[in-house]
Amino acid sequence: MNLVHSQLNRSKQRKRRISFPFISGSVFSLIFCSIVLLLTTATAGFAADTFGEFDAANRLYEQGKFAEAASSYQQMIQSGTVSPAIYYNLGNAFFKAGQLGQAIAAYRNAEKIAPRDPDIHANLQFVRGKVQSPTLSPSAWQRWVTTLTLNEWAVLAAAAFWIWLALLAVVQLRPGWKQSLRAFLWCGGCATLVLGGCAGVAWSENSTRTAIVVVQDAATHNGPLDEAPTGATVHDGAELSVLDTKNDWLQVRVDSQRVGWLKRGQVVLASGI
Amino acid sequence: MLSLLRKVWRTLNRGRIGLWFALLFAFVCPAFSASFTASLDRNTIVLGEQVTLTLKFEDGQPQGPLSLPVDGLRITSSPEQSISSVFAAGKQTTVYSYAVSLEATRLGEFVIPPFHIKMNGQDFSSQPLKLKVVASDSSAPPAGYAEKNAFLWIALPKTNLYLNEPMVAEFRIYLRSDVHRYGDLQFAPDGNGLTFSKIAQGQQYQRRVGDASFTVVPLSMAITPVKTGTVSLNPINGSIVLNGRDPMDIAGFFGPQARPQQVPLTSQRMDLQVSPLPTEHVPPGFNGAVGTYTMAVTAGPTNVVAGDPITLRIQISGQGPLDTLSLPEQAGWNNFKTYPPTSKITASDPLGIEGSKTFEEIVTPQNSDIRSLPPITFSFFDPEKKQYRTLTQPAMPLLVRAAAPGTMPALAAAHPQNPPPTADVVPIKQHIGALAQISTPLVQQPWFLALQGVPALALISCVILRKRKETLAKNPRLRRQRQVAQLVGEGLEQLKIQASQNQSDEFFATLFRLLQEQIGERLDLPASAITEAVLDERLRPGGVSEETLTSLHELFQSCNLARYAPVESGEELAQMIPKLEKALQELREWKA
Repeated sequence: MNLVHSQLNRSKQRKRRISFPFISGSVFSLIFCSIVLLLTTATAGFAADTFGEFDAANRLYEQGKFAEAASSYQQMIQSGTVSPAIYYNLGNAFFKAGQLGQAIAAYRNAEKIAPRDPDIHANLQFVRGKVQSPTLSPSAWQRWVTTLTLNEWAVLAAAAFWIWLALLAVVQLRPGWKQSLRAFLWCGGCATLVLGGCAGVAWSENSTRTAIVVVQDAATHNGPLDEAPTGATVHDGAELSVLDTKNDWLQVRVDSQRVGWLKRGQVVLASGI
Repeated sequence: MLSLLRKVWRTLNRGRIGLWFALLFAFVCPAFSASFTASLDRNTIVLGEQVTLTLKFEDGQPQGPLSLPVDGLRITSSPEQSISSVFAAGKQTTVYSYAVSLEATRLGEFVIPPFHIKMNGQDFSSQPLKLKVVASDSSAPPAGYAEKNAFLWIALPKTNLYLNEPMVAEFRIYLRSDVHRYGDLQFAPDGNGLTFSKIAQGQQYQRRVGDASFTVVPLSMAITPVKTGTVSLNPINGSIVLNGRDPMDIAGFFGPQARPQQVPLTSQRMDLQVSPLPTEHVPPGFNGAVGTYTMAVTAGPTNVVAGDPITLRIQISGQGPLDTLSLPEQAGWNNFKTYPPTSKITASDPLGIEGSKTFEEIVTPQNSDIRSLPPITFSFFDPEKKQYRTLTQPAMPLLVRAAAPGTMPALAAAHPQNPPPTADVVPIKQHIGALAQISTPLVQQPWFLALQGVPALALISCVILRKRKETLAKNPRLRRQRQVAQLVGEGLEQLKIQASQNQSDEFFATLFRLLQEQIGERLDLPASAITEAVLDERLRPGGVSEETLTSLHELFQSCNLARYAPVESGEELAQMIPKLEKALQELREWKA
């Protein structure tokens, strides 16, 4: 009798074990589908809104309403929608509206996300060419480093580092392979050093703060005061490296021999060269 | 290859009209930008003179024979092969040249048709070459010059030119046949309103002037007028040294010495009349090209996604100032994004006025409504026909597919009737593209930095593992200790199973083996050498406790007894396991 009972109990338990995952799977599938549907709808709605706003801003641009177009693009950016195309078009709108500094700032933001986009590069160079000196001009080395984003450099350096350490680990586990892996070990080490160095330089460049003049003409002051005597005049679009900040003033390097102070409202700050 | 040779040989033997020569090659050089040109060293010869035909293959060699079926021309020499290597613009170019001498058998104008060859898997064609064979040279010097040892004679094909029309002037240096050596040539043509190309020296030939025989050294130069009206070739006051001393000629050092002689080379001022290009019927898009040209256009790929690049190759071939040739502005390209073209000149003559100039331009269709590449036109003024000519490449069909959303690049300006100004920014992008997120750089993210510790930890683990292996390899006692510890652990588990299954024989066999292994390890003796006698002989003097020794004795005796009287009960077997565990534990703690 006891045996029969125990067998029955085991059978029930087995059924429970079988039926439980089935119910759980159905519920899980239902929840999963609901979430996916919800997300898809939300994303589609968001995408439709975003594309609509973008197209509307483009229409304003094509109608010659450059200031309005720039404002629309800026609104999109402020709402958290960011893409190289938005920054790029914003740069175009600012340029057409005659605001070289704002245009350069926008192109630089676009270039930071898509550093190898030829259109962004072309327009940035074009607008930079219109800027009256003095302005900061990046060196060939700086231009080369910025062909990849900081994150791309970081991932490349990390990949090289992982591969190199993996090779070293393999050599520890299989000492017999050391001879045949010697070249790879050297290459891995060198690649890690070079890419790590490039990532470091890119980070350093990225950490550099640049002030882009956004007013027509701005006279630099000798000190962070309105009363301080004025020095060199910088013009709309001039890019100047920031040396120091004090209250509402920024100390900038005008050229290799001159520094001066500009009001924060006269410039927009950007990172990198 | 053998059949090919037989075919060529049969053709040569038949001696039928035309002539053949074969250029057979054993291998093909790999190359990426091969080219092929054919040229004659002169365009006009006097009957009885020879002219040199040169075929140049740049970065490749042809596959198979080349035929030259021209009635009235025959080959008078076997092909001379030369190889030269040029390193320019970071690229090494190998040029294979094959030269043969041709002789005309009759007067007239000959046209050597284009050579069609296959090289590196590609088809190449040369330009047709013209050769005029005359009975006498109309530009020959008068008989009075026969008394001179050397003189300069300028042969101009014509004296009336159009603006920018190049003309090949030949500066012939006549040297009497008894002049064996010449050198130190001082010669600098100059002119007002003219530009000069570099000098190219042609093949020497023999000519009679009066009663004397002369060797003619032809020096060619392309002259292009750059202003209208009367322009002049200034008088030349040059010189040449005849029969100069050759320091490398050792035999001549001991022989009769010829006296070096410096001979002046002079010429009179020569005027040229330059006419401006006609102002009537100037085709739209004409950008100043003068000469005689043909145009070939290729484009690829022609099945693309909107925004994909298409490479457009426009080859303009013919005679004219190739270096100043430029591609005119083309209309109807508003729906394409165009990039500045690159160009390459392949000159078939040493003066650079014959050959082809290839423009390579990247264009990208901006929308999927485009069905064709617009027509391409090139206009030039033909000075021979004295009229403008326009070459047109008709529209080429194009299949442009729509790009996936978010990947399409910029659309062209929305107003096709207003082409975008060239000095302006690139137009806005019509597609938003991939949305990005501005976030902290990876190098400042703690998780990314922490992640870099993973391979470092893995490496440290590997180093520790290796060190441990090396330590074990160097210490066999320690290695045995660990092996025995593992063996005992597994053996105890086995004993429990055997006890539960009432396997008496197997149980005692395992038990005996465990005792042997553990005691053998402690005494550093082989396991097989361990018997009960060892307990009193080695363990007791070593200071093992009496209690442990008693337990071990009992266990040994149980094993011996089991051989004759197997234990039937599994419980009895199980009771022995704790006893064994305790004895083995005490043994492990005993310092041998």
